[in-house]
Amino acid sequence: MVFPTDENVIVGLDRADDAGVYRISDDLALIQTVDFFTPIVDDPYWFGQIAAANALSDVYAMGGVPKTAMNLVAFPVKTMDIGILRRIIQGGVDKLTEAGAVLVGGHSVEDKELKYGLSVTGFVHPQRVLTKKNLRPGDRLILTKPLGTGIVNTAIKAGMAPAGLVEKVTALMAALNRTAAEVMAAFDVHACTDVTGFGLLGHLAEMVSGGGAGVRVFARSLPVIPEALEYAAMGLIPAGAYKNKEFREAMVVIEPGVDRARQDLLFDPQTSGGLLIGVNGTQAVDLVKALKDAGIDESAEIGEVLAGPEEKIWVL
Amino acid sequence: MKEIDARGLACPAPVLQTKATLQEEKPGAVKVIVDNAASQQNVQRFLESQGFETVLEKQGGDYLVIGRCGAAPAVETRPTPAPEADLKKIMVMCSTDRMGFGDDDLGLKLMVNFLRTLKEMGPELWRLVFVNNGVKLTIDGSEALADLQALEKGGLKIMVCGTCLNHFNLLEEKRVGETTNMLDIVTAMQLADKVVNI
Repeated sequence: MVFPTDENVIVGLDRADDAGVYRISDDLALIQTVDFFTPIVDDPYWFGQIAAANALSDVYAMGGVPKTAMNLVAFPVKTMDIGILRRIIQGGVDKLTEAGAVLVGGHSVEDKELKYGLSVTGFVHPQRVLTKKNLRPGDRLILTKPLGTGIVNTAIKAGMAPAGLVEKVTALMAALNRTAAEVMAAFDVHACTDVTGFGLLGHLAEMVSGGGAGVRVFARSLPVIPEALEYAAMGLIPAGAYKNKEFREAMVVIEPGVDRARQDLLFDPQTSGGLLIGVNGTQAVDLVKALKDAGIDESAEIGEVLAGPEEKIWVL
Repeated sequence: MKEIDARGLACPAPVLQTKATLQEEKPGAVKVIVDNAASQQNVQRFLESQGFETVLEKQGGDYLVIGRCGAAPAVETRPTPAPEADLKKIMVMCSTDRMGFGDDDLGLKLMVNFLRTLKEMGPELWRLVFVNNGVKLTIDGSEALADLQALEKGGLKIMVCGTCLNHFNLLEEKRVGETTNMLDIVTAMQLADKVVNI
């Protein structure tokens, strides 16, 4: 299929990036993104917050600032209490307010299965757009949220996660990537994306595909939800993790010393995960420190970019 | 052998069904049947976490996990390293990025070639240490970098002198090996059967 484009499209469909970017003038570009899904937590208010944090994240990953948003709602109005929808939307609105963005409209349809999400529009300077591509040898990789939400959500579904952990992971998924994005703006960042459904290595694979670089990931440096390692060892792993692994297997080499639970976390699909940042190697230590100082406590340097082998991810 | 049919169930249901059966009946051996590879992997992980040894099989469209309790509790299965008893431990120490004296360009070429050929020592090559100007071989842009990374990936422990990296202001540029100190180097010398100085 051929998609028409025009000269003002900075990031279009051909790039498969986190969002589209369109130049309005020499100093302003528009970022557009949309995301929606079925409930991942039982509490409607928290679900609304998580859906909004997840949709907003794509704007942050492009180096932008979110400005406006529209609701997308699919709701089983005949079988479900409309109060639930109100709680969801309240969660979304509160999260948008925290992000400094406003809800300006939306659309709802009747559906058997509840779905909620948002289309978000943001601004960025055309020269400061961050994409997935453009990692350079010598860059370091920084991750701003711990991995394991997919596995923990599977344990929750299995009724095996204690209430305290449910709360912790819910808050983690609802946490905005705003502060992380603001902190990284002061550094020499070469590439950025957010970690979501394809898992850490799925998104990293997107960053290195196309050539020019390979990466080395230090499994022991990965920030993880500690309980997720236990649940992974018990086989409470979402099917999506295995699909992610199968899809990228050819690009990935994992050293035998990396234990299996940690390998599983590499492919665990994340909901509203952290930013994955490729920063000038000389600034990595300072960036992690600045992130931690700003309260992004679990930020960590997780790997480095190599000149080769190209398009390979080597985990040790 | 207790048979558990978990076909038609999505994750994590097959694991939960297996768990319930183990708790209720405490079988010594189980055969779990699922209909997808992800569930098979998950059931395998679960059984191993409960001290079972497992075998995976595929029968038509079905995926089987056969588990036997007993033997050893769940241990990570890792490839057993080759017996090391009769292997010599060779430590190679490079205190320069040039091999020999005379022509520097030739010296560099020889050094790169030397490091490339080093793998011919096989498993007896035990430590590779870089000190003084030698650390410049481990940084970005070094012609030997790819070969050194390959050696490290093959399991060789490469040690790079931290004091030296610091002296040349190259701490951030190192792309292979572990930063090390004099005590590590001296200890390695003592443990090695042979130390080769370049």
